[in-house]
Amino acid sequence: MSYIDPKKSSRSAIEVGGVPVNIVVAPRGATGDKREGLLTIFYKSVKSLLTGMKVTIGYLVRPSTVVTQQYPENRETLKMFERFRGQLRLVKDENGYMNCNGCDFCEKACPNGSIILQDRRNSVSGKSELERYLWRLDSCTFCNACIQACPHDALEWSDGFEAAVYDRRLLVYTLNDYAGPPVNHIKRFKKKAGTPEDRVEELLATMEPRHQYGGPTPLSGKGMPGVPPLKTD
Amino acid sequence: MAVKVSTLDERIKLTDSADSPLDTQEYFINMGPQHPATHGVLRLMLKLDGETVREVIPVLGYIHRGIEKIGEHSTYRQFVHLTDRCDYLSAMMNNWAVSLMVEKALKVELNDRIEYIRTIMAELERIQSHMLWWGVLGMDLGAFTPFLYGFRDRELITDIFEETIGCRLTMNYIQPGGVMDDIHPNFVDRVKKVIEYAKPKIDEYEELLSGNVIIQERLRNVGVLSADKATSLGVTGPVLRASGVPLDLRRVAPYGVYDKVNFEVAVGSVGDCWDRYWVRIEEIRQSMSMIEQLIDNIPAGKTMLMKPAKKTVLPEGSHYAQLETARGILGIYAVSDGVSDKPVRIHMRSPNYNNVWSADEMTRDSRIGDLVANVSSIDIVVPDIDR
Repeated sequence: MSYIDPKKSSRSAIEVGGVPVNIVVAPRGATGDKREGLLTIFYKSVKSLLTGMKVTIGYLVRPSTVVTQQYPENRETLKMFERFRGQLRLVKDENGYMNCNGCDFCEKACPNGSIILQDRRNSVSGKSELERYLWRLDSCTFCNACIQACPHDALEWSDGFEAAVYDRRLLVYTLNDYAGPPVNHIKRFKKKAGTPEDRVEELLATMEPRHQYGGPTPLSGKGMPGVPPLKTD
Repeated sequence: MAVKVSTLDERIKLTDSADSPLDTQEYFINMGPQHPATHGVLRLMLKLDGETVREVIPVLGYIHRGIEKIGEHSTYRQFVHLTDRCDYLSAMMNNWAVSLMVEKALKVELNDRIEYIRTIMAELERIQSHMLWWGVLGMDLGAFTPFLYGFRDRELITDIFEETIGCRLTMNYIQPGGVMDDIHPNFVDRVKKVIEYAKPKIDEYEELLSGNVIIQERLRNVGVLSADKATSLGVTGPVLRASGVPLDLRRVAPYGVYDKVNFEVAVGSVGDCWDRYWVRIEEIRQSMSMIEQLIDNIPAGKTMLMKPAKKTVLPEGSHYAQLETARGILGIYAVSDGVSDKPVRIHMRSPNYNNVWSADEMTRDSRIGDLVANVSSIDIVVPDIDR
């Protein structure tokens, strides 16, 4: 048993199945006649232990190398990357109108049914629009397939990652805060209609507010497939 | 050649029984499913004679999720995200294997930008996987410091992933027909910085662990797996290469842009834990040199050639593609009926499943302490075994 110098590897070129391959062979300690004497091995062994200690002590005396993140304390300064997949949300313009028109592409792309989408027909414009966008964070795998499939750029990730709750039924969200026409329907309607102002007012009047936990989501007590209703006192 | 098949019931029958009070008796003990050294929920049944291990029987299935079955009722694009959950330390290489299978079946020609990004990402993933393994091996053998150092350096690579992809572990980035997003504008700079930072750190790893005489004595000539045994067990990856078989698909059957880069295949000569250890350390260095060769020459081009919302129907018949993950050869086999956009059957030839059986061969007639080193040097990821 002699000491192995990790840097003493040997290189050669061989052929594997007709393909030339350059190989590096792992170092082994000297054997046979080249075996080191007991004292040499002892010296090298003690030296190797001290070299390892040098590395750890080096970090001990240089506190600048500490990389620990002081997580809840640094909440104010903690900034996630812009593409970070935190929580799903619907894109809204400056007036609060969403891009989503309830086209179902995300629901079809979702691998495990974490997105449940209901649409309805608008009584004024006659077009289909979003009624309710349910997103189940509890079963979402953050695979990004919904955003990739969306043809209207209506979905995006927020950087919120603190989603811990005591009851998983609280992880079923209604993402839209209103049921009604998306921004491009409103714009097109403005261009088309003969008496724009009244008709647009009429179109906007069809909007109904939606709450994060309202409607057929668990907190209302009505339940949804696979999620039993949650009783609130 | 007749193959002897034995059930678990037969195998756990005791062969020796004590004839006199001085004789020892063989006994069974369970290592796992909850044991820090088995890296997950792997249960090893040990047939012991005192401290000597007579047989190791891996008992699998503790985190079986039926991923292959779920694959039968999801589309190919949806199946990609499940492969993240198999070998989570080479998540993107698993994604790549499915993508490669679909692209091979549909004969999609990819542009160089996609191939470059995929190759760089796969090599980064290999580095972070080996760094984590290095730290965990240190911890298994009783040194806690490497664990912290390995994780510290791996964190920088996961930051690269987080910036470009948005995820740190289960990325779902490489998709049939390209990659999900283009690389982030900071990507090239960040990769260069990390490589520059990590190169001296690998030397530090060598000082701390490889050069340490205690580690050398615990790894050298422990768990010897001969080349013959390794090939007959179907072992692949660093475990096979450490036994002296230079089989590396990146070199022997290149995919991506591995035919355009120069690298050496690290091999061992004996097949013991030390060879497996050193092969992985050298692979980190080779991966870094590969990334250095590629990172400056990423060509321009589109990053997704197949429309994500479009139905992907593979031609009728069976399709197979394989590549080299951080742990060995991963093959994806799919049978399509030519009508549906979902496979009739999908099967994964996962490297960890084949590698785990070599633990018995390595450990037989050595001590329990060596078993920990052996299991750690195989570098198993249990979700990939059970799937």
